[in-house]
Amino acid sequence: MALIEVKAETTGMVWKIGVKLGDRVSEDDTMITMESMKMEVPLLAPEDGTVKEILVKEEDPISEGDVAIILEV
Amino acid sequence: MGFEELMKDLEERKTKALGMGGPEKLAKRKAEGVLNARERLDYLIDDGSFIESGLLAKAIRPEVRHKSPADGKIAGLGRINNREVAVVSNDFTVLGASSSSINMKKIRHMKKISIQRGIPLILLGESSGARMPDRMGAAGRATMGQDPTEYMRMREAPMVSALLGDCYGSSTWYTCMSDFTVMRKGATMAVASSRVTSIAINQPVDPEELGGWKLHTEITGFVDVAVNTDEEAMKVIKDFLSYLPGNYNEAPPKYPVPLETNDRSEKILEIFPEQKNQVYDVRDIIKCIVDQDSFFELKQRFGKSIVTSFARLDGKSVGIIANNPKFKGGAIDVDAMRKATSFLVLCDSYNIPLVFLADQPGFLVGVTGEKQGAPGRIINWLNALTLCTVPKMLVIMRKDYGQAYLNMGGGQNSDEVILWPMAELGFMDPSVGVNVLYKVTEKDDPIRFKQLQDELARDTSAWDLAGLYEGHMVIDPRQTRATLIRLMEIYRKGMNNGVGKHLMRNWPTSY
Repeated sequence: MALIEVKAETTGMVWKIGVKLGDRVSEDDTMITMESMKMEVPLLAPEDGTVKEILVKEEDPISEGDVAIILEV
Repeated sequence: MGFEELMKDLEERKTKALGMGGPEKLAKRKAEGVLNARERLDYLIDDGSFIESGLLAKAIRPEVRHKSPADGKIAGLGRINNREVAVVSNDFTVLGASSSSINMKKIRHMKKISIQRGIPLILLGESSGARMPDRMGAAGRATMGQDPTEYMRMREAPMVSALLGDCYGSSTWYTCMSDFTVMRKGATMAVASSRVTSIAINQPVDPEELGGWKLHTEITGFVDVAVNTDEEAMKVIKDFLSYLPGNYNEAPPKYPVPLETNDRSEKILEIFPEQKNQVYDVRDIIKCIVDQDSFFELKQRFGKSIVTSFARLDGKSVGIIANNPKFKGGAIDVDAMRKATSFLVLCDSYNIPLVFLADQPGFLVGVTGEKQGAPGRIINWLNALTLCTVPKMLVIMRKDYGQAYLNMGGGQNSDEVILWPMAELGFMDPSVGVNVLYKVTEKDDPIRFKQLQDELARDTSAWDLAGLYEGHMVIDPRQTRATLIRLMEIYRKGMNNGVGKHLMRNWPTSY
C-alpha cells in the first residue's frame, strides 16, 4: 500500500467535496469539484484507492499543485 | 557433399536458429506470462505471410557465435490485415537481444525496405542495449554510426515501436523516432538501465521511476498506449496501422460502416450539458459523431485537456483534436500543446484529414507553464497547423476563447468552420474580462459588474460569428456527423487523390 498526493491541476476554489475519509474511489471518480475559470472542474482520482486525508474544506482557495487529498493505493 | 546432405544441413541449421535461446530460457518466459520473440510475430503477422530475413545470421565474435541464433533480432517481411509490413522482433533469450554490428545490419535492411517499398516498419523492442565487449574502445566506436541515415526520419512510411521488456539502446532510440509507441506495463525504457544508472550516480534507482509506463504515458508522453499483455500490444499495433496508409503516397484504407452507427448522433444533446459551467467528457461526444467502435485514442494519459484520436467517418480515417472540459475545464496546458502538435504532424504526414472540436477557455496561464516554455509550444502548434495540407474542419461546440481559438483551427486555420448554436466567442470569459479590463469585481460592485459583464457578452454568439462569415454554417449538433461526412466527400480527394504535400515530413520526432 502506498500513499499518493492528489493535487489540484488548476487554480480556483474548492466548491464541493464529494468524498469522506475512508471512501473507496475508482480511477477517474470525481472527489472534489473546484470552481475554476468559471467552470465546475472535477478533481479526479488518479487511480483506485481509499481516501486517507482531506486537506481542504469547501470555499478554500486552492492553487495548481496544492495537495487536496491523500489517497491510499 | 551431395545435395541431399546439403539440404539436410540447411534444415538442421534452420531448426537450431529457430530454437532461439533454448528451451530453458523460453520456458522461463512462458512461466512469467511473456511471449517470446517469435510468438509475438505469430500474433502480429497474418498466418503464412512471414518471410524471415537473416535466420542464419550470427554474432561477429567467434566466441559467442554458437549461442547467437539470428544474432538476437528476428527480422522479416509479412502482412498485417493483408497489407505488407517490415518487422524486427528482439529476441531477449539470445544475448539479451543486445545490439551488434550484424543485427543492426538487419534493422538497416528492414528500414531500407520500409522506405523504398513504402511499407510500415514495426520494431518489437526488448534489449539490454549495446553488446559488450563489441562496443568497447575505439574499435567499438568503429562499429557505430556507419549509416548516416540511421536516425533520420522523413516519414515515408509509418514506424511503430513496442516496448515489451527492458528497453535500452536501440529500442529506446527507435521508440523516440517512431510515429506510435505501445508499452506493456512492467516494461521499462530509459537511456540506461537502472543498474547502470545506480552505479553511475551512486544512488539506488527504481526501474519504474526511471522508465516505467506511468512515467512515459503521463510525464514524457513518449508512449501512446499502455497495455497489460504482449497480445494486447500486438492488437493495438494492428489497430493503429488500420487508420494509416502503407506509405505517405497513399490515402488511408476504407472500412465498412457498422450499421448501429446512425442512431448515435441523437444522443449528443442528451450528453452535452445545458449549463455552460458544467463539464463533460468530450470522448462521449466524439463517439456520437464517428463510426461505431472506430475511436482510437493516442496519449490518453498525457495532456488530458486535449483528446487526440483517430476515428472513422463513413469508413474513412480522420484525426480528431478535441478540447476536453473534464480535465482542467478544457484549459490547454503545455503537455496538451505538445500532444496536439505531434498529432497534427502525424495526421498530415499520412494524409489523414483533421477535425477540431473546440470548447476551451484559453491556454492555462501560470508560472508552471512559463517554465515549460508555453509561448514556444503555442507557436510550434500554430506553425504545424499552418503547414498542414490535409483538409481541416473545425466544429466550435461551446466556448472558444483567446489565442487558442487560432490553435484550434479558428480564422483561416481550417477549411470549414462549423458552429453549434451554443458557441461563445471572445478573448476570455466575460465574467473574468470585467476584472481584467475595468478592474471591477462582482464582490465590490455587483450592479456595475453585471452591466459590464452583459456588455462584454454582446456579440459573442454563434449568430454573430456566422453573421461575419467567420463561421461558414451553424448546425444542430445532431447534424455534425452528416455535415462532416458531406464536407469530407468534397475535400478529401483534393487535387492529388487524397495525398497531401507533407510539409512536415522532417519535423522532429521528439521535443
